[in-house]
Amino acid sequence: MTIDILCRVVDNYGDIGVVYRLAKALSDLDPALNLRLVVDDLAAFRALAPAVDPAREVQDLGNWTVVRWDHPWEGFRSEPPRLVLECFACGRPDFFEACLFDPELPFTAHIVNVEHLSAESWADELHRMPSLTRSARVKKSIFMPGFTAATGGLIIDRRFSRAMAAWDREEDRPALRRDLGAGLALEPGLEDNFWVSVFSYERDYARIVADLSAFHRERPVLALAAAGKSQPCFMRAWEAAGRPFPAVALPFLPQETWDEVLLACDFSIVRGEETLARASLAGRPFLWQAYLQAEAHHLVKLEAFLDRVRPFLGPDSFGRLAEASLAFNRRDRDAADWRGDESILPLLRDAEAARAGFRAFSAALSAYGDMAAHLLTFLRDLV
Amino acid sequence: MLMTSDIRCGTVFRSGNDVVVVQRLLGIKGGRNGQVKKMRVKNIVTGQTSELGLDMGEKFEEEHLDYHKMKLSYVDGDTWVFMDQESFEQYELTKEDLGDNVGYMTPEDDFELEVAFFNNKPVSVTLPTAILRTITYCEPGVKGDTSGKTFKPATLDTGIEVSVPLFCEIGTKIKLDTRDGSFIERA
Repeated sequence: MTIDILCRVVDNYGDIGVVYRLAKALSDLDPALNLRLVVDDLAAFRALAPAVDPAREVQDLGNWTVVRWDHPWEGFRSEPPRLVLECFACGRPDFFEACLFDPELPFTAHIVNVEHLSAESWADELHRMPSLTRSARVKKSIFMPGFTAATGGLIIDRRFSRAMAAWDREEDRPALRRDLGAGLALEPGLEDNFWVSVFSYERDYARIVADLSAFHRERPVLALAAAGKSQPCFMRAWEAAGRPFPAVALPFLPQETWDEVLLACDFSIVRGEETLARASLAGRPFLWQAYLQAEAHHLVKLEAFLDRVRPFLGPDSFGRLAEASLAFNRRDRDAADWRGDESILPLLRDAEAARAGFRAFSAALSAYGDMAAHLLTFLRDLV
Repeated sequence: MLMTSDIRCGTVFRSGNDVVVVQRLLGIKGGRNGQVKKMRVKNIVTGQTSELGLDMGEKFEEEHLDYHKMKLSYVDGDTWVFMDQESFEQYELTKEDLGDNVGYMTPEDDFELEVAFFNNKPVSVTLPTAILRTITYCEPGVKGDTSGKTFKPATLDTGIEVSVPLFCEIGTKIKLDTRDGSFIERA
């Protein structure tokens, strides 16, 4: 079965990150699948998959074919698209479109719009909803990832499941942290610290560094600042505060290593949708920064997400999380000088108590099943 | 070509051999680069109705229908009767055919609208983009709040509920956008 996966990189690595993860999960489920990835920004793809050559219009990546978005690859003519994943309603390249809608073709083709992750209730309504195209031969439908059983769920690849199980064994965590720390070139002897990962959009991190400093006086902290927009902001604030606790600026990590970091941490600050999904599955307390949207719609998305977490946390833990989350997300721009009024100290102090709730949230999400498996079933039902 | 973003209640477009008319817009969902317009449509070839979600980026062929200028003449139960302003012939559409558009018109109105015909049968109406309606119920107005940025629910003389600025009162005449029911201004 050949599946064409279309992806346009809007900004950052979130969109291509989800697509790369989805493609890996699909291949893992069925190694015989013929995946053709059509991507507009191969340089961004290379950051995640170093074997990708941004200069090449068509290339093999393992058993996948990767095609640059604007390249009129004859492969689409010789084997026209039948199953298309149009990720995040990204549209379709012109040449691909011509092959897909060729009126001479005798078979029905299917486009599935794999939408953005959202905790809002309409995700349930839209999941598997039929759509239309201009041609009777080309069918279209919508597939929603999400946080409920009525959606497609989250990607839970086998490797991540194994890693989750390993990190859940408390007695194994010190050794796992030692191994992970060695891989990240961390200073030895920090395995027992309270690990905090930081991955958000740009902001003034002075308040959060002050909170981490205060918490460090109660329990030693290790901060891991992920590569990306927040890293210079965080490290600048940390330097300005006189390096009050150990902190490390991480290099850009492969997805599998980043997953391990989230599983290893006692508390994480995460952003966007790809890392939100992983942090939710990791079952450890975290604070989410939603992608900034017009008319403060990111706050609607945040509140919808908090409503999903609420049943799993006690009222005190939830109240602290909700208050800090709203303060962290209330903003009209992402900039290094943006100073919010968030306080994460109550969350850090509450992390141990809240952990069981986040673990239960993760277990509920896992019980909904793997999004890639649901998607593959959906595609097989179509053809 | 017609983009999904151009589609409104009453729009008729083609998907392959099917011709569909939009009866009801059920909201715009989604975030960031992708948005989906959820709607109820009727296939006017088969008569089947269904709910579906259209991506904003999708393009369709507009169905070229015959349009006749008419006025709503009277309503008899679920049947809405329109009169052609040139031939004075009368044509019927059901409440279901009209969908959301029933909330914007009454027989007392003076405005003309366009009735679309497919195979000589009326299938939908296209309203003027802006119409005048009267508020029949809302909470009392807030004096001094003329910003128009804060809204409250209000019932119109057609019976539907829309959002209006706080300064509006019962009896206020307002101008509405029939594409999405949004308040334009006080008339």
